[in-house]
Amino acid sequence: MATSPSERRGIPAAPFVHDVQTYLSQSGLETNVALTTLQERLQQYKLAEMKLLAQRRDLQAKVPDIKKCLAIVQSLISKQGTGEEITLDFELAEGLYAQALIPETQSVCLWLGANVMLEYGCDEAEALLRKNLENAHISLQAILEDLQFLRDQVTITEVTIARVFNWDVHQRRKKRQASGESSA
Amino acid sequence: MQQGEGNETEVTWEDQQNINTFGRLNNKFHELEDDIKLKKEMLENLEDASNELILTDEDVVRYQLGEVFCHMPKDEVEERLEALKEENQKELEHLEEEKDAILAQMANLKTILYGKFKDSINLEED
Repeated sequence: MATSPSERRGIPAAPFVHDVQTYLSQSGLETNVALTTLQERLQQYKLAEMKLLAQRRDLQAKVPDIKKCLAIVQSLISKQGTGEEITLDFELAEGLYAQALIPETQSVCLWLGANVMLEYGCDEAEALLRKNLENAHISLQAILEDLQFLRDQVTITEVTIARVFNWDVHQRRKKRQASGESSA
Repeated sequence: MQQGEGNETEVTWEDQQNINTFGRLNNKFHELEDDIKLKKEMLENLEDASNELILTDEDVVRYQLGEVFCHMPKDEVEERLEALKEENQKELEHLEEEKDAILAQMANLKTILYGKFKDSINLEED
């Protein structure tokens, strides 16, 4: 029987309950207490899921930005050696555009963040942007895997809650039937 | 997962894993649906742009590259649009294939899980 990893990036795996009766008697918990504990666990998983979803959203927003930069740098590279200028309209302020002529160029400046801008050769800039794009995809993949793991734990916990609940209903019914028979 | 009549069917680790897989596939399915919708919109926009380009009398049009609008000869824009259309069309086909594969797997898991749990389990949405 396959077992899943017991944790992933600090997220503990949800224990799988093979038999509800054994689970309750071994943990020594009342049904209600067990249900509350499971609900709390579920909430924690949901919280972690929301954090991961936010991270994914940020990364997904980064990808098109990098692609835009790449497209421009590639256009600049394609003009190299032709002696052609690029005419373009650029935004001065919201809704206000001015025209610029960009002569053939060998270098561009990349904004690296933290108030730093660095001049790169066009080819170097392209390589760097490609690398960034690749890294973004790798991080995204890692987050997707974390999310999948987390969702499995959510499903396990939900199923366990339903099973404990069902088991309890079943036990009550049995008890009621037994007392009904004895009083009859 | 439904909290049903309290029927006791034993749930094994294998069943649990099937349920997990089903949940994953269902999530993936919805993400794919969203992606496909976006791709289709993208393709429509590209198609619109191509049509406008045919109608226009301008020799030089402004083509958006990142944040700026490049003045570009009509022919070059046409080429770029065609290349983009082809790329997006391929991606769309890929997404559709993936969606079909996932639907098939989900149908398979449904047969297994409904077969075992009957109406104690609910795998439908809404």
